[in-house]
Amino acid sequence: MKFVKFIISLLAAAGLTYALNRPLGAVPALGRLFSPFEGFWQNGESKLALPPTNLQLEGVMEEVDIIFDDNRVPHVFAKNDHDAYFTQGFLMARDRLWQMEFYTLAASGRLSEVVGERALELDRYSRRMGMADAAKKVYENGKTNKIFDEVLNAYAAGVNAYIKQLKYKNLPVEYKIIGYQPEEWSPYKTILMMMNMRNVLNGGSDDFRMSNALSKYGMDVVKDLFPNYPSNESPIIPTGTKWNFTPVQVPAVPAQTTATLSTSETVAFSVPQHSPEIGSNNWAVGGEKSATGLPILANDPHLQLTLPSIWYQMQLCTPTMNVYGACLPGAPGVVIGFNKDVAWGVTNVGSDVMDFYQIKFKDNSKKEYWYNGEWKATSMRVEEFVVKGRPESLKDTVFSTHHGPIVYNSASDKNINQNVPVGHAMRWVALEKEGTDLMAFYYLNRAKNYDDYRKALTYYVAPAQNFVFASNQNDISITPNGKLPLKWKEQGKFIMDGSNPAHDWQGWIPVDQNPTVKNPARGFVSSANQFSTDPTYPYYLGWRFAPSERAIRINERLEKMQKATVDSLRMLQNDNFNVEARRILPVLMKILNADSSETKNPAYQTLAKWNMKNDANEVGATIFERWIKELRYIVFEDEFPMKDLKSPMTYPSRNRMWDMVVKEPTAKWFDDVSTKNKQETLQDVVKHSFKASIDSLTLKHGSMNPENWAWNKVKSTDINHLGRLPGFGRQDIPNGGGAGIVNATTELNGPSWRMVVQLDKGWPKAYGLYPGGQSGNPASPFYDNMIDKWAKGELNELFFMKSKDEKSSRILGTVKIIKK
Amino acid sequence: MTYIIILIVSAVAQYFLPWWVIAPIAFAICAWKSKTAFGAYAAAAGAIATLWLGYAFYLNSNNDGIMLHKIAGLFSENIKFLKNLPVTPTYFLIMAIIGSQVAGLSATAGYHFRQFFK
Repeated sequence: MKFVKFIISLLAAAGLTYALNRPLGAVPALGRLFSPFEGFWQNGESKLALPPTNLQLEGVMEEVDIIFDDNRVPHVFAKNDHDAYFTQGFLMARDRLWQMEFYTLAASGRLSEVVGERALELDRYSRRMGMADAAKKVYENGKTNKIFDEVLNAYAAGVNAYIKQLKYKNLPVEYKIIGYQPEEWSPYKTILMMMNMRNVLNGGSDDFRMSNALSKYGMDVVKDLFPNYPSNESPIIPTGTKWNFTPVQVPAVPAQTTATLSTSETVAFSVPQHSPEIGSNNWAVGGEKSATGLPILANDPHLQLTLPSIWYQMQLCTPTMNVYGACLPGAPGVVIGFNKDVAWGVTNVGSDVMDFYQIKFKDNSKKEYWYNGEWKATSMRVEEFVVKGRPESLKDTVFSTHHGPIVYNSASDKNINQNVPVGHAMRWVALEKEGTDLMAFYYLNRAKNYDDYRKALTYYVAPAQNFVFASNQNDISITPNGKLPLKWKEQGKFIMDGSNPAHDWQGWIPVDQNPTVKNPARGFVSSANQFSTDPTYPYYLGWRFAPSERAIRINERLEKMQKATVDSLRMLQNDNFNVEARRILPVLMKILNADSSETKNPAYQTLAKWNMKNDANEVGATIFERWIKELRYIVFEDEFPMKDLKSPMTYPSRNRMWDMVVKEPTAKWFDDVSTKNKQETLQDVVKHSFKASIDSLTLKHGSMNPENWAWNKVKSTDINHLGRLPGFGRQDIPNGGGAGIVNATTELNGPSWRMVVQLDKGWPKAYGLYPGGQSGNPASPFYDNMIDKWAKGELNELFFMKSKDEKSSRILGTVKIIKK
Repeated sequence: MTYIIILIVSAVAQYFLPWWVIAPIAFAICAWKSKTAFGAYAAAAGAIATLWLGYAFYLNSNNDGIMLHKIAGLFSENIKFLKNLPVTPTYFLIMAIIGSQVAGLSATAGYHFRQFFK
């Protein structure tokens, strides 16, 4: 009896302890998570927590001082570069370790190792893209550059110094919740982090959709509806700028420019479309336009907003540099910032750098493919997936051609059963193996003048960026820069023929012939992801760039600006004027107007009174944005279905649609092809879409009133947690803006860092913030402390220190790293 | 007395060892000290509940409850009825139950272990 009692009570105790110490499905190990000695309570940072005043670490060569300011930005003062990058790695790991590792897991297709089955499709896609493989080779090639190798290794050593002294109780809370441990950092992982950026910024393609449109409607329609240059544009390099170089020979356009899609074939691509919201603004005004007589530079990169934040602010000071700015967690150096003499910033270049080739295999083994009149061998690689919650790993075979990897998604995998299977190979600039991109930032961090800037840019590969620059020698410049393929006109607009050598990428635009302009007559330079140049540029870069509205607005305001100050540029960053509404709203209203019953509609009256600004409280913005979306859908979804699974296409641009509304009101595209015996006119679709917009807004937000229909309520900007943990993000942030607005804040995307730098012969004055906070710890007061100010469009004055001995009330505390 | 000993020993031990060290500690101390099964259970459960509540209360107030509310947001997104309960008492209670039951059951097992060999 006593034995039975003992055994039963022992089993109960042991069973409960065991159960609480291990995760159950998605539920983490509750005992460990709730224990105040180890669990989440330990992550609750106290209000102004700073690390102990002295840290003894192995890996520094000399003593390092870190000064934290009142926004918890670290200012690192090191006696040599190695120690500065070591300390940068250490501090970023301390604040952002989970985030840094998450990016590398995503880029290398390993997310399912930690989150299980639900990330498997994404992982398969990432692996097929081959980013991990490319990252390895990039590092192998890059490390022949001694500085590059030293910087990356010093940074990795710093990250690892932090990881080494971590105990479970100090792990970032995400590791505790999801239930895994950080791995060692390495230079390869920094490259993976950069791969992630290449994928976010350059990883979209419309090729397949365009080929579908071409095979359905023919070249004339495609040329008409999908032109290579828009009717309404304000290019980055001002129209009329002379090209000061002798162009190299551009490859001739081959007789056949596309693959011949066989009708029996069903390929479903999961490659994301080109995404115009992921854009950015930057500009610099020259001395003759500024109040100080010296340039002022502004930049706000738009990305999908997340917490922890995409950016991390830092000052790095060594005998070779003193630089401040926004850094990417996982990468050494400052990416967007300034030093005593210069400031620089980046926006994305939307050139077409991802192309697809139709590949004809000899047989189902896929060992050989047809190229240039003979069978050529593919290379093969087996990818292994360890999936959390699965006893055995999964395998996927990836074939590669000389173009690049064969990428298709699972739907088409199952369909490839024909005797002569067809696949699609991807040629993508992100897989280029030389990758000293970080050296561009290394040299920009130390740049003193325009020549240094030009030299720094030569190191940069991808994702191509518009590098804006200003110096206190009164120079301003902008350069769409990166490795750009030398293409024949329209090369890669459609899926190409992988057997035809004329369809290969045949070289690169010489880097010194990338478009650039220095001190243009108009007194400013700017970019908003629009076309890099007008059609006089001798090379073909792509046919679809971001819509031009932001660029048009920025350029017209800068054009008029005199005696510009930091504040005038800050206001421009927050400009909510809707250029598209100015262009098309009067035309659309006139059509509605023809019917007197519409003019009594309160929604019509609101629109008629609207100031054409996408301000937070405007109801007019809500109606207009919804309406044009609805209109575009009604006009084009019947002929160019975006969501069609078998043969998806893409809509003609909004610019093209407005041209049609104004100049071709009887175009056949206005007809709804699904209604058999009825011919819809422009008037019909305008009215119909207006009514549909009001109906769907009413359904979702109740009947129209200034509160429920306010633009910020309907748009509802959310900044979600990077790992989508509910409750760890911030929802419904009150602000205006929109996709085609200079203040490009949409539901999920927006200015991820806003910076304005006023250059000076003495010491620059700089302002900036990002929607988040320095700490990646969700329990830190510095996790999201800048969001409210960001939503209001305000900026923080950035504390750029001259030396470590500078006194200021903004200093919170000092930490020393001492050699162990 | 058993209560005090468990409280002190487990406070020190948990500083260095994983959280489940409370189970063997309660087991051993109650095998050694306890006179009744209920006495063992009550002393161990009480000691761990006191210790965990006290330490968690200290950590939580230092952090103004930010972490706790984030965790609560995460749980209530998946277990809907938690949404209707007040965060602080609910989660302190869940924690106290986890700690005290592990300790209490282990203590009872420890007591019966002693009885078996007696």
